[in-house]
Amino acid sequence: MIYEPVIGIEVHCELKTKTKMFSPAKVNFGDAPNTNVNAIDLAYPGIMPLINKKAIEYAIAASHVLNMKIDRDLWFDRKNYFYSDLPKGFQITQDKRPIGSQGYLMVKLPNNDEKRVNITRLHMEEDTAKQIHYNDYTLIDYNRCGTPLIEIVTDAGIRSVEEAVAYIDKLKSTLAFIGVSDAKMEEGSIRCDINISLREKGTKVFGTKVEVKNLNSLNNVALALNYEIERQSKLLDNGEKVAQETRRFDELTKQTVTLRSKVDAVDYKYFTEPNILPIHLEEELISKVIDSIPELPESRKQRYLKEYNLSDYDASLLLQSREFSDYFEKCNNLCKQPKLVANWLLVDMSSYMNKENLNITNVNIDYQRLAELITLISENKISSKQAKEVFEIMKTEDKTPNEIVKEKNMIQVSDEGLIISLIDEVLNENPQTIEQYKSGRTNVLGFLVGQVIKKSKGQANPGMVSKILNQKLNS
Amino acid sequence: MISIEELKDLANRLKFDMSEEEYQTLQKEFEIILKQMDLIGQIENVDTVEPMTFPYPVSASWIREDVEQEGLEIEELMSNIKDRMGNFIKVPKVVG
Repeated sequence: MIYEPVIGIEVHCELKTKTKMFSPAKVNFGDAPNTNVNAIDLAYPGIMPLINKKAIEYAIAASHVLNMKIDRDLWFDRKNYFYSDLPKGFQITQDKRPIGSQGYLMVKLPNNDEKRVNITRLHMEEDTAKQIHYNDYTLIDYNRCGTPLIEIVTDAGIRSVEEAVAYIDKLKSTLAFIGVSDAKMEEGSIRCDINISLREKGTKVFGTKVEVKNLNSLNNVALALNYEIERQSKLLDNGEKVAQETRRFDELTKQTVTLRSKVDAVDYKYFTEPNILPIHLEEELISKVIDSIPELPESRKQRYLKEYNLSDYDASLLLQSREFSDYFEKCNNLCKQPKLVANWLLVDMSSYMNKENLNITNVNIDYQRLAELITLISENKISSKQAKEVFEIMKTEDKTPNEIVKEKNMIQVSDEGLIISLIDEVLNENPQTIEQYKSGRTNVLGFLVGQVIKKSKGQANPGMVSKILNQKLNS
Repeated sequence: MISIEELKDLANRLKFDMSEEEYQTLQKEFEIILKQMDLIGQIENVDTVEPMTFPYPVSASWIREDVEQEGLEIEELMSNIKDRMGNFIKVPKVVG
């Protein structure tokens, strides 16, 4: 039988705040265990949650780029459960009233089709402590306990592994681009749980769904889903039932294994968090957040293609990260030469950064210096050959391109009168070459251009020399 | 009417237990509560009324800025801990 997968995805995303969701303790991945913990995180008697404003702003920004409705009243609920990863005995989350609802994300599939993935809700909550389990004991690090999270939940409208992977990838890059999260799956700042069931293709009823956890890379998402599709297909083909359960992806065997049954589901006894009064979000705060969201990659790409006439390939490379794209924009704002900036960034700068293991955020050639160099080229003050020399010096010296050009006496002569007089001198000295040219050996032109540039001590603009020489020889 | 078995199941989910006598008392109390709920249920259009979660229509506008404060000093934190391994808190094996 031919089956169709029905997939829904929950993504947990750690926000890039300095402090926790409900406490002013520091958030920093990789610090020594239990050093970023305070009385609120450990639920000492009498503690009260203190909501982090930045976390709310990030949740608003994320909701906005996912085209969601934003609840103007913040409302938190308690999810009660007894486990050592949250000392309070409950997690503060948003159950009844998520901050964002009814949104969507447009996703480009490998075959270039566009898919609209509906997002039903985005809510805020706190992360739990990290536990490391050994054979006969468990170690706990409460640093992560209380880290602000947003959980983003799609409807069950995803219909293939490709769609699932493309959605997570797009969501990840969007959240990273607007700066609300590092969005690194490998560091756990993005974690996803996927619900998947199969149904006979063409039917409308849903099959029994299985939840798969512990997917820490896009590759594992694809492997786990393909494994589940195969496993569930076999069960259904044999007339067996799919058990409603939570499964875990095992990285070693590349298989999913049963974690727990869902039939005896825990009752979390949600109720409104009484220690947080409803907070009304002022329109001013919301619009301030929305106004500060950077232009998104799709929109930037359209601008690069239409206004700057860049190729699709170059535009995509410039959008490899927010920082890279920002560097390009800032540089171009100064020199207004998008093609030259793109070219220098993607060729000379990129190879320099690769060689020296630098990136756009720590490279020692800032956008101001690159813009100055490009202005010198576009104004024909130096040749592109000279520009490469200047660039070499910029790598090791902290001077501006103008300073370098002055020091090296690297002026490009674009004075037409001067160039014509140099050309006339060269033509007078080489009558036999002119004869050769006129008899059809046009390749001697290069020799003549070289002579003129030599006479100018390398400073004549080669483009102009070649153009004027051509005119003279063909008149 | 709620059965003793249902109360025991709920208690189990809430991770506590009581004596038989206490369950019987609780069952009687529940009867009263359920009757009151029933009475409220008879009010016309009661399902259109917004739940009153907070006793006063108050709302807060102050929200904490994202500014870091020193956390607990590690030895102070560990002074409440029975067992440790380096900076980690060590507990009997818990797998959820």
